Amino acid sequence: MNKRQARLFAIGSTVIATLAFLGLTIDSHRQFPKLTNAQNITPAVTHGKDVWHKYNCINCHTLFGEGAYYAPDLTKIAQHRGAEYLKAYMKDPSKFYDEQRHRRLMPKQDLTDVEIADLVSFLDWVSKVDNQGWPPRPILVTGAGVGPMGVLQAAAGSAPPPGAPPAGADKSPIALGEVVFREAMPACAACHSLLPGAQMAGPSLAGVATRAQETVGSADYTGDAKDAAAYLRESIVQPSAHMITGAMYSASGVSFMPATYGKDLTPDKIDHLVAYLMTFK
Amino acid sequence: MRYRSQSVAYWYFAVAMVLFGLQLVFGLLSAAKYLGPDPLLYILPFDVTKVIHTNLLIVWVLTGFMGATYWMVPDESRTELYSVKLAYLQLVLWTLMGVTAVVGYLFRYGTGNKLLEQPLPHKIVIVICMLLFLFNIGMTIWKSKRFTTTEGVLVLGLGLAAVLYLPALLEYENYTVAIFYRWWTIHLWVEGVWEMIQGGFLAYLLIRLSGADREVMEKWLYVIVGLVFIAGILGTAHHYYWVGVPAYWLPIGGIFSALEPVALVGMAIYAYSAMRRSGMSHPNTLALHWTLGSAVFTLFGAGLLGLAHTFPDVNKWTHGTLITAMHGHAAFYGAYAMITLAMISFAMPSMTPGRSEQGSSIGYWSFWLQLGGMFGMTLSFATAGIGQVYLERILGMGYLDAQLKIQVHFVMLVVTGSIFAIGVGLFIYDFFRYAPRFEVDDGQTAGPRPATKPVVTAAHA
Repeated sequence: MNKRQARLFAIGSTVIATLAFLGLTIDSHRQFPKLTNAQNITPAVTHGKDVWHKYNCINCHTLFGEGAYYAPDLTKIAQHRGAEYLKAYMKDPSKFYDEQRHRRLMPKQDLTDVEIADLVSFLDWVSKVDNQGWPPRPILVTGAGVGPMGVLQAAAGSAPPPGAPPAGADKSPIALGEVVFREAMPACAACHSLLPGAQMAGPSLAGVATRAQETVGSADYTGDAKDAAAYLRESIVQPSAHMITGAMYSASGVSFMPATYGKDLTPDKIDHLVAYLMTFK
Repeated sequence: MRYRSQSVAYWYFAVAMVLFGLQLVFGLLSAAKYLGPDPLLYILPFDVTKVIHTNLLIVWVLTGFMGATYWMVPDESRTELYSVKLAYLQLVLWTLMGVTAVVGYLFRYGTGNKLLEQPLPHKIVIVICMLLFLFNIGMTIWKSKRFTTTEGVLVLGLGLAAVLYLPALLEYENYTVAIFYRWWTIHLWVEGVWEMIQGGFLAYLLIRLSGADREVMEKWLYVIVGLVFIAGILGTAHHYYWVGVPAYWLPIGGIFSALEPVALVGMAIYAYSAMRRSGMSHPNTLALHWTLGSAVFTLFGAGLLGLAHTFPDVNKWTHGTLITAMHGHAAFYGAYAMITLAMISFAMPSMTPGRSEQGSSIGYWSFWLQLGGMFGMTLSFATAGIGQVYLERILGMGYLDAQLKIQVHFVMLVVTGSIFAIGVGLFIYDFFRYAPRFEVDDGQTAGPRPATKPVVTAAHA
């Protein structure tokens, strides 16, 4: 090969690669609207994206796995946490996590209510983008365990698992409810996932607050509870009062869920748990 | 120094050195925050130190590229620069842009778009500086009527780098589309045209340092450029994993990224065999260390460590973990920091009299401390990243709890990062130790010298 041929090789291969790349780019543009649900990019989502940029979120977190590696990935966070949880979290992260325990903490960002709401809309849009099913397993923010949902049952009497924020009067009831969800005996999380469609021993609790609302509001509802929160409380204390149909969940009108929480949990803890579950809208 | 106007390179290098030092201050701060708790949480949080760390990298490396180009083009085209004034104007504008950007980041004034955080006014100044630079270089070559392949590759690389910055100036409504075009700038810079720039400098240094024949070196330079682009352009696909683009980017990314190391193997063989066959014809062995070091470390950091997580089936587990930081640090340092340090080491003895041509022992300490430090940092990120992938992605442990389990690797990161910083500190000290004195060297030049004694102002300006 002489120098002229080498030059031809350099130019030729660059041109071919460029043309192929541009062709694929055009085709990608054809597919973007469908893959990203472009029709759902409302002004709120666009503004939420601007909020994401304005507060430099990407230089700690990752989104679609891109960003810095100092804070959790948020691609699917809107599916793991209800909007109300995220809104309460954004008001003051220190009510949810403890810097002494995890050695890092998100600084409070002072967002306005509109900014928070739009950021949550943006994250919700992100969580629904078709990205080839990544991540292959849910990436959780905390939790110590092994198993498909990252849940390890705490042994009775053992130290709190690494994921547990310490109980304290200044913590949000939602955050405390999340601890109850993981630490009650038996742990709610051992049977209930919080991901849509992920059924474990019990039904998934994704969107449970919305479903409770619908049930209470429907014409053929005859139960005692008058609102969604009361409905959830009743379901915790008397599991057989309201049942999801399905042979995996109950038999002869008795739920498989333990009916022990009413006496094992203090009224405060049940309040926290209800507050936590009410965020799954 | 054969042409007086080459002295502008000194001031570019000096600015690059200062920014390099600052980059490490913010890098070490960021690393320390992994150990936490962070006393600076509300003064200098991680996102701020990290954005300054990465932006200073881009600015100092580009400053070094510009300085090295102002050094190399007069040498290759055998002429004075078209305009020294323009080169200084560009340096002042560029430095102001860099400094104000960093100050702005302290107050979160930026676009919050990874690596393209520069606010729009700064982006416009960057484009203006690039245009001034390309105009100055272009006119120098045009007037000299002497255009070597080596500088052609270099200038084309710089020109394309400017063109590829343009998509970064636009706003995109759809976050996925924004990601798509962000990589046109970032990926096609670092795995495309910047490799052309690196190749250009590498060829120049090898031709000057060894007795290698220019025709042969330039022929292989073309081959390397061809290989870079075959793999590099379609290799952009490895940034399109899991971000909401069509699925065919996955196999394309796997295949073409696997080819990317071919060009880097080529570059390493190219450098090594040039020295083996032709031997040393220049006393500056320190510059030779940096030159060969760059070729080899690029193969390790960009080639091998990139390949380690580029296949979609691997990447689906490693995506967005410290594995990426492992690859990023070693690749950037080997390819772009080291080649810039090579050009600086090569040029310095003739601009700062009193310095030994072979390089001082401080220079060698600096080389080995940096290399060892960066290798250790790479291993720290790698071990931390492997732990993270296993605990968080495979066992399903929560992010925050997994990070607690890998604290020991962050201690290792801070220690090796400090060793690296000492190496860089020595380089900077060695740089400023001798005062610059710009004397045109009459003695040993082989080629024709400029007809008149070099003039800084007249005619050209």
